[in-house]
Amino acid sequence: MSVQEILADENELTHLLGAQQAVVLSTRVRLARNLDGFPFPGWAKPAHRKEIAERCIDALTKLPRFRKSHVFKMGDLPDLERAVLVERHLVSKELAAGKSGAAVISRDQTCSVMVNEEDHLRVQVVKAGWHLRGTWNIAEQLDDALGASLGLAFSDQLGFLTACPTNVGTGLRASAMVHLPGLCLAGHMEKVTRALSQDGLAVRGWLGEGTEAAGNVFQISNQQTLGLSEDAILRHLGGWVKTLVDQEWNARRKLAQEEGERFVDRIARSLGLLRHARLLSSSESMNMLSHLRLGCDMGCLPEERRHVVDRLMIEGQPAHVQARQGAELDSDGRDSRRASAVREALRDFPEVGPPTA
Amino acid sequence: MSNPLKCSVCDAVATVHLTQIVQGKVTKVDFCEACAAKGGAGDAAVFKLADAVNAAAPAPAITCPQCGFTDVEFRRRGRLGCPSCWEVFGVALGGLLNKVQHEAHHVGRAPAGTLPVGQLRQRLLEAQQEMTAAIAAEDYEAAAQLRDEVARIAAQLDTL
Repeated sequence: MSVQEILADENELTHLLGAQQAVVLSTRVRLARNLDGFPFPGWAKPAHRKEIAERCIDALTKLPRFRKSHVFKMGDLPDLERAVLVERHLVSKELAAGKSGAAVISRDQTCSVMVNEEDHLRVQVVKAGWHLRGTWNIAEQLDDALGASLGLAFSDQLGFLTACPTNVGTGLRASAMVHLPGLCLAGHMEKVTRALSQDGLAVRGWLGEGTEAAGNVFQISNQQTLGLSEDAILRHLGGWVKTLVDQEWNARRKLAQEEGERFVDRIARSLGLLRHARLLSSSESMNMLSHLRLGCDMGCLPEERRHVVDRLMIEGQPAHVQARQGAELDSDGRDSRRASAVREALRDFPEVGPPTA
Repeated sequence: MSNPLKCSVCDAVATVHLTQIVQGKVTKVDFCEACAAKGGAGDAAVFKLADAVNAAAPAPAITCPQCGFTDVEFRRRGRLGCPSCWEVFGVALGGLLNKVQHEAHHVGRAPAGTLPVGQLRQRLLEAQQEMTAAIAAEDYEAAAQLRDEVARIAAQLDTL
């Protein structure tokens, strides 16, 4: 069992043809849960944390969804492998930074549970494309199964009890990873971010809190967890994502119409650069790949190539490049390996045509 | 970094952490770089600063009997110690909860096998509103049914 298997296994975010959609890259829900009668991980003594981990991992690995799952103890993993898990959004930076946490990841990488992060359990379900109800239904099943086998900390007044007041109640964080090149190019992102945050939604970059939005990719998630039912939280996020998708399409169509040949030129130049560059930095490749994804959505490139772009976005991240090489690389080394992987993947990409969408 | 320690002087993120043990008495203090430089981290002066900070810091007013967590610790970390802390610090957290969450009542799911209190509470509110609307619309048959539902849910919630 190793992180190399995570890299090698085909999963729907990186490989499954047809799972990808325009605009929404992925949908994610996570539930914060704690065992009753145990201190939260940040205050627990090592002996307690060990017992918590044993109970949680035991309960999780008995569930059908976690059959043949990967169990990673952070303390056992080299830095590079922990970083790969962070880049895949399978564990948080916080879990990877500490040595005492663990992660249980389902074979298909759809479900992952962090053990002893800020809370005893952080249950996460992720799917490619926009599937809010689908991801929620799986999370709900896992929650019921865990509730039946582990005594969960719950109060009638405050709901599920968590270490941090920002998660108490439902413990639910629902989010969509959205690709918004149209709104970015049109200069509307600042306005959009303000409107969303005024209505209780957080807008973050590709890797979550405090990261910049490389490749025009943003994560939109709910902030409030108390006083709203799960259904209300999902409907609120869902309504906004639908609005965003509509606005993004409007911006793209307007841009394509107004810019004409310039719109196609931007995509064609990015393809040319990606196909020939010998050194590609992480941010440069993300931004060029963003143009290719836009091209696939708009019909300038075949839609069935979209999953190649998504895979390169994920596999082009620094730890992924190094893990594939099986060694730590300096910046030039990474840029060179990244460029050659991108060249290889895009070698038989067709020419860029005019938009049809 | 889930909960960076704050500088004891100015609340910025602390990067300098000092522990002094004098005759078995442990003094811990955290500074940001700027305040540490001012205090001359590494020499005795900083512990004078530490003494001043500790003297100024209020003694814990509330301690969780279950896990030993204190209100002073909560102000440092912004996280609680254990599930029981929610009861112990509940009143103190009321104001903060309203700030971060706007609402102070859970209306969502409950663990498997327990009464779905949150959902019942939500339904109770809805049924009350629907009843008011039904009365306003002079639909007394519907209003009577809703009145019975309200009474039934209220009785269920009363048994808690």
